[in-house]
Amino acid sequence: MRVVAGAVALAVLSARAPAQQVVPVQGIAGMDTTNGCLVCHAAQRQAAAEGVHSQHGVECVSCHGGNAAARTLPDAHQGGFTGTLNKVQTAELCGSCHSDPNRMREYGLPTGELAQFRTSRHGQLLFGSHNTDAPTCTDCHGTHIIYPPYDARSRVYPTNIPSTCAHCHADEKLMARYQLRTDQFDHFRGSAHGVALFQQQNFAAPTCISCHGAHSALPPTGSEVANVCGRCHALVDQAFSSGPHGVAAETGKLRGCLACHSNHSTEGVPIENIGPTCDKCHAADTRLHQIGVDLQHSVAQASEDMQSAKRAVDQLAVAGQQVGYYQFRYQEAQTYYLQIAQAQHGLDLNKVDDLARRVRSVSISLNDAANASQENRWEHKLILLPVWFLSLSAVVLAWLALRSLRRMRDEQREG
Amino acid sequence: MFGRGRGAMAAWAQRFWDDLKNSTDASLLSILRFLGLLYGPIDTELPIDRAFRKSLRHRLSRYAGWRQAFGGITYLLFIVLVVTGVLLSFYYRPSAEEAYQSVQHIVSGVTMGWLMRDAHVWAANLIVIAALVHMARVFFGAAYKPPRETNWLVGLLLLFVIFAFGSTGYLLPWDQWAYWTVTEGLGVLHHVPLVGGGMVEILRGDPIISGATLSRFFALHVIVLPWIAMGLLVLHFTLVRKHGVAPPARPGAEDVGPGDQAGVPFFPDHFLRSLIVGVLVLSLVITLAALYPRDVAAAANPAQPPRSLRSTWIVADVSRGLIYHLGGWGFLGFLLLGGLMVLLPLFDRSPERRLRKRPIVGALGVIFFLGFAAAWAAGWQLRSRPISASGELAPFEQPLAKPGLALPHMTPVTPAPAPVDTSHTGGVR
Repeated sequence: MRVVAGAVALAVLSARAPAQQVVPVQGIAGMDTTNGCLVCHAAQRQAAAEGVHSQHGVECVSCHGGNAAARTLPDAHQGGFTGTLNKVQTAELCGSCHSDPNRMREYGLPTGELAQFRTSRHGQLLFGSHNTDAPTCTDCHGTHIIYPPYDARSRVYPTNIPSTCAHCHADEKLMARYQLRTDQFDHFRGSAHGVALFQQQNFAAPTCISCHGAHSALPPTGSEVANVCGRCHALVDQAFSSGPHGVAAETGKLRGCLACHSNHSTEGVPIENIGPTCDKCHAADTRLHQIGVDLQHSVAQASEDMQSAKRAVDQLAVAGQQVGYYQFRYQEAQTYYLQIAQAQHGLDLNKVDDLARRVRSVSISLNDAANASQENRWEHKLILLPVWFLSLSAVVLAWLALRSLRRMRDEQREG
Repeated sequence: MFGRGRGAMAAWAQRFWDDLKNSTDASLLSILRFLGLLYGPIDTELPIDRAFRKSLRHRLSRYAGWRQAFGGITYLLFIVLVVTGVLLSFYYRPSAEEAYQSVQHIVSGVTMGWLMRDAHVWAANLIVIAALVHMARVFFGAAYKPPRETNWLVGLLLLFVIFAFGSTGYLLPWDQWAYWTVTEGLGVLHHVPLVGGGMVEILRGDPIISGATLSRFFALHVIVLPWIAMGLLVLHFTLVRKHGVAPPARPGAEDVGPGDQAGVPFFPDHFLRSLIVGVLVLSLVITLAALYPRDVAAAANPAQPPRSLRSTWIVADVSRGLIYHLGGWGFLGFLLLGGLMVLLPLFDRSPERRLRKRPIVGALGVIFFLGFAAAWAAGWQLRSRPISASGELAPFEQPLAKPGLALPHMTPVTPAPAPVDTSHTGGVR
């Protein structure tokens, strides 16, 4: 039993995990025994064998300088030996290779990171005012053992990025110096994005860097927000931009998506809150407020129709119907329903109503099919009428025959 | 002209019939007798039609009557299962890819397919009850005592065959209930010491229940078990004739053996009684099938156990009730009690038939039969409980991926709040 459970779990896990490149970990056998640094710096042995740099021939001396072939300490720390670098030096050191297109070509890596980093708030603090609160390359990527981003051990692996950022951004003492909030990670974790990323391991879901930028990290400004969201939610963005709210957002009167949704927790507006959300800007009993109320009514109706359609499909399945066609119709309704979610951002009441009617039409036809099947199932019971009529008649006749037989035998015995 | 043609036809039919009679050996009737459809001995000296009539008029033992009805009912239900099973096999396809769709087709596409299927399901459950009542009658009536102890053992084997039939048949619909009930069942079998693991390997044919298992269960269900059942049934019926009907457990009732002919003739008296019982049983099967059809659950999905599991098979309910309330040892104990039933005729050999004079055996019987009924009721209550309650499948209930891989230096990650159920809207909230 446990074996079954394990096998199934394994099958499920392997089906869910994205294809990952297997990085061979070099053991002691692969270690460079001529590297004299490790004689004293034994703690860094692992770094000399593991991680993407050691695998591509980057050695201690490549970053720290000095002489790895030397056998005495003074000799070893000769020849451009730099020792421990500070944060600014670190960034510049990394950039000395990673900003060089000729060196990065063979690895297919971009080279703009350091330039981007200088534009970020982190880079401004570090390079501008030498503020060491700001992170440098190694704070996110690791110091000696650096794994590529597709390695699950990396701190910049998609599911690790939020906690890497939260390492500083959830630190209340640190963030208080910059008047920054610390609840972003908690909000993100509960958001649709966080659920998709952490629980469903969906790597198409955005992490912190998808909206803020990675090396060029900065919060998107008010007028940028709609564009940032629209990079993924393209159809919603299209509808939003074509509607009156889109115009308002362009002129800076509306904070884009954030006017109704929050940023890190990204909660959707529940259907019953569509009207009340309009209260924030539009007074009740105004014409514009009424649009919101009408919108809510249509969406609520469509949502009910979707649920009823789902119940109908379930009912058909339980009755043994082959539900492929009905599921296809349900998918169709779902497409309309998703289009409603888009159309409502453009406040196009006619389009929303039209789509809601289509959802309703599918739902009704599915319910008709379910009712017909239930009726058909009920009609099976009618067979009981002839069955019991025939069976009771047979029983009565047999009973009468048995009784007359018994009487005949009694008479025979007496006679 | 028309009348003369008819006369010629009748004459030809008469000649054909006479020819058939004269050329057919009366001992062919022994096949019917073997199958339990004809009681009396066959006089092979006579032509077949007269031998048939003579056998029909054979007088039964003075003790034959309504008491023996449940054995007959069990056999009738077996015939119902054979007939509906053959009909189902015309449409059923025993492969993991097609089984579920073929059952859907049987239920919703084939004329009267629902009746075939639901009658088969209900007869499978009723035959367990009928067999147990028959067994209880034999048990409390001390009909297992010498010289009938062999037949008691054959009967117990038949009961085991009935359980095997149902357990193999339960997988065939290949829906979620079938898949996970059998998974649970094989899990139980796995716990049997020494042989359990090996038996599960052989039965399953794969690390998890798969198409290989389905093929095995289908072959057992429609080829192996029917032949075993047929052989045991023939032996069962033959032994009844050999030793005659057991006397009732009342003082003064002597064992008159097989030669007794003081009762009514098989035909028409006993036949009419059987007809009444048989017609009522058939009507009951059809009624239950029409009123309480077995739903078609979602198609089997090895990766996704259902939130709750319902079985429609008595034996599954009984084992679940036993294991849940009494644990593995309670289940084993009940199995041992069943095993004691096998040995019963070995240690209970006294000619005493009255139940009051057999308190130990009586108590044993009450525990077994009432225990079976109680465990069934308990399992019925449990049937809608999540399967994690069985403890075996608990790992599945946990989320497969832990949210967030926290590295040592990082903020500890607490589990995320449950996502809002948006399944009916395709993720739109």
